Amino acid sequence: MTAGGPPKGSIAETVQTTDGFLRHAGRDFLVVLYTAVRSLKLYPIENAQVQKALDDLTTTTKHLLDVEKEIELRLQGEFIFVNSTRLRLDLDNYASFSHILGVLRQSGIGAVRIDEGVERKQLQIFVSLLLSYAAKEVTATKVFELAQKLSDAGVTHIGVEPPLETDEDAEDEERQKEAAKRTYARSVAVTKEVINSIRMGRTANVKKVKRAVQAIVDQVLNNEASLMGLTTLRDYDEYTFTHSVNVCIFSVALGRKLGLTKLQLYDLGMAALFHDVGKSRVPLEVLNKQGGLSDEEWRIMQAHPWLGVLTLFGLRGYGEIPYRGMIVAYEHHMKTDLTGYPKSLRPRDLSIYSKIVAVADGFDAATSRRVYQTVPIQPDQVLKEMWENPRRGYDQIVVKAFINLIGIYPVGTCVILDTYEVALVHSANPDVTHVHRPVVRIVTTPEGGVQHPGFLADLAQRDAEGNHPRSIVKVTDPVKYGINVSDYFV
Amino acid sequence: MYQRAVDNIRASFRQIWQATDDLVFDVGETELRWEDNVVYNQEQRGESIAWTLYKDGVRSLAFKPGVEEAEIVSFLGVLQRARNLQADAADDLLTLLWAQDFQFVSYTFRELVSENAAPIEAGETITSAPPTDVRHAVEAEAPPKREGLVSIDDFDTTLYFLEDNEVAYLKKDVEREYAQDLRRNVLSMLFDLLELQTYGTVRAELISIVENFIPYLLGAADFRSVALILRESRAILQRARELIPEHRQALEGLPTRLSQSDSLSQLLQALDESAVHPTEEDLSELFQELRPEALSTLMVWIAKLHDPYVRDLIQGSAARLAQANPAEVLKALASEDGAAQLEMVKLAGRLKLPGAPEGMERLLASEDRGLKLALVEALTAISSPSAMRLLEKAIDDGDRDVRIAAVRFLGSRGYRNAAARIESMVTGSKLRNADLTEKMAFFEAFGALVGAKGIPALEKMLAAKGLLTRKEDPETRACAAMALGKVRTPEARAVLERAVQDKDPLVRNAVTRALREVGT
Repeated sequence: MTAGGPPKGSIAETVQTTDGFLRHAGRDFLVVLYTAVRSLKLYPIENAQVQKALDDLTTTTKHLLDVEKEIELRLQGEFIFVNSTRLRLDLDNYASFSHILGVLRQSGIGAVRIDEGVERKQLQIFVSLLLSYAAKEVTATKVFELAQKLSDAGVTHIGVEPPLETDEDAEDEERQKEAAKRTYARSVAVTKEVINSIRMGRTANVKKVKRAVQAIVDQVLNNEASLMGLTTLRDYDEYTFTHSVNVCIFSVALGRKLGLTKLQLYDLGMAALFHDVGKSRVPLEVLNKQGGLSDEEWRIMQAHPWLGVLTLFGLRGYGEIPYRGMIVAYEHHMKTDLTGYPKSLRPRDLSIYSKIVAVADGFDAATSRRVYQTVPIQPDQVLKEMWENPRRGYDQIVVKAFINLIGIYPVGTCVILDTYEVALVHSANPDVTHVHRPVVRIVTTPEGGVQHPGFLADLAQRDAEGNHPRSIVKVTDPVKYGINVSDYFV
Repeated sequence: MYQRAVDNIRASFRQIWQATDDLVFDVGETELRWEDNVVYNQEQRGESIAWTLYKDGVRSLAFKPGVEEAEIVSFLGVLQRARNLQADAADDLLTLLWAQDFQFVSYTFRELVSENAAPIEAGETITSAPPTDVRHAVEAEAPPKREGLVSIDDFDTTLYFLEDNEVAYLKKDVEREYAQDLRRNVLSMLFDLLELQTYGTVRAELISIVENFIPYLLGAADFRSVALILRESRAILQRARELIPEHRQALEGLPTRLSQSDSLSQLLQALDESAVHPTEEDLSELFQELRPEALSTLMVWIAKLHDPYVRDLIQGSAARLAQANPAEVLKALASEDGAAQLEMVKLAGRLKLPGAPEGMERLLASEDRGLKLALVEALTAISSPSAMRLLEKAIDDGDRDVRIAAVRFLGSRGYRNAAARIESMVTGSKLRNADLTEKMAFFEAFGALVGAKGIPALEKMLAAKGLLTRKEDPETRACAAMALGKVRTPEARAVLERAVQDKDPLVRNAVTRALREVGT
């Protein structure tokens, strides 16, 4: 390098090149690791499919090691990092990622290190041990036992480490929770302000809406669970406002699951937040009417999708005309066969965003208490209906992805365990093969007393005999036990 | 200069990265501080980068290696955009920065906008039953505990993962979402609504939206969508029979409004000035929807357009309109605008529009030589009886070139109706002062049209006379020889052969050429 002159082959170039390689090769590595784990789980070691999976794992590992000398696979929150590069989820790999994330967590592993000397045999032993330890009950020493087993088996080039846990993590989680609460509260307030402005014929502040949606996207990308938990809030503000924000959160989270980019998530979030904007033109006496609606009133209510289009055309200060928002507002009550409402004369293909928002909207509406639905339906029942009843007209693949996202028992579901404990679903199990075994918060004592905050239990855990100590036996109504669900999420 | 500035910034960053791994500034109202040292200060807020950052809430700004190559230009672009934003704009610096999703630029900010958000707190306590009651209720509600109650087999295992084909389906849907024509989609919604919603106020609002949408679409050069609006309006006029007259009139008026001179002129001006041009297909879709009255305006603009691509496109569209609307062609020919008249004449000629001569007669009286020449050219191309009639008139025109062009064509086409008029000119005094080219044109046309009957007159002119008879000038004699060449009979040949040895070289030469034309 010439003194005083800029370096040749800048750091930036190096950083970019390395990042790009790691993203690509890291994803390949995760996918082949997943294939090997899954094959070995299903077939004996001699099986040709297992052998091929191990061959692929060896080749991909060596390819990475040719460039990087050492591979560090680290779990941090919901993310997987390969040598400090965060791997991006997309449609092609999210199931593999979730599975690997679950298996590593289940084994108590926070990081895996592989260095240049690794051979196929060592990888085979590692995958076998990983499988057997993932099936065991989680204990504080599990990862160290696994490390010892690896060493005993002569696996010297693969190491496992526990997760890095510090006070900062707990503080960080608390900060994330507070940030989620701020984001949620602001989003509801902004939605309220915009809807009320439109209702009163005033100019709506679109800038604030954009900021709110951007914050929701950031929050979902950083810590999805804390924001999803807040969708269980009831009576925080008027249904219309909280519902719009909930639909936005569910939609963005589902979009993330489907591998949408950050900017696509923003498009989806904006459209989702405005999906019911047409209700600002529905008379309040119809919107808030208690009891049944007359035919004429239903007709007015059913006009809200297309009223949304007219409203968005009149939304001054938007800059660009919000076409995508209009399409979603218009289509979110259309069924996949284009029945539903409004009626469609000209040929159209439902937008994927409309399908996503329709599912999020249907789920949140059915699980909420509204003026004309005083008793909310239990979340699992809503999902069951969406999944099993084709007449509801939801896109089945989107519903399936939604179930993958929130689990069979969505966040906030009140369940009775086979231990006679009452629990609230805290988060879906990151390993989608445990879709029926979420992480729950036990909220009653063995004697039956309701406790706050209770404690978390992962229903996928097994005891020493390989049995699940806790399983869900029934979904129940939290009010029956004096439980205010949202108290456990705020 | 711009590139030099960018290069300087990049070079500066590269030097900085030799000393540090990141560059973090604290943002003040008018200054940027690095490690507590003020490194930038500008008190004039309008000029200050610090103020641009500070006023929207940014409180620190960090750059990482790589920013100079990948993102610094975009970052500066965002700052510039943010400085120019109006207070009521849909964006501020923070929304713009977010949308860029910078990888090498990060920032912290303070939320300045207050939304009066209510804090989220735990709800009111629900009175809980005594523990023993809860326990009893749980036991009553839950089935008796048994091993393996919940088994993986109880669940639909297809729910665990999306299958490959399902992933492909979703991927395709996302791709379609971003490949679709959003405006077209929204327009389809609007026209569905317009057709189905029978409320007068709703229809009025929809029509108003559509009307206001058109200039926006034109401004965005989305001509195909405008064409769609016009087409769908026409469809609705046919299908929605219960439309009230006011709405019907408004929809019917859309293409008319767009075809009016002012609106169409705006469109053509925008097209000519635009850096990005629509495809021929897009534009022709729109122009197919124009009313015939648009033709005159198109003609006016064809002459003014600078961009050859646009001119070609407009000419194609004008041609379609002209072919389908003879009456509009006549209107365009009657235009007050000379340039429009000229273009229409040329177009009529290119298209060989048989009805056009009707509107061209008046133009023959024009003082504009270029126009008249174009007229003759157009009329010769059209060649209809009415066109020939006008060409016959044109041989009396005040302009030599017009006369020559007209008479040559009439002669070449054997238009005998003009023979008498040409004969009177050839045998009379009108051509006396004409130059050789014009004389030759008339004589040749005469020979071609009159044939053998003209031989005596031509022989008289060609022959060298006795002392008492005035001899024609050599030019007239040469022309007579050429005219005889056009007669192409043995008699004509005989007359020519007698003049082969004429003393005048001009005549001799003409005779030789004429004989070649007559043949043996």
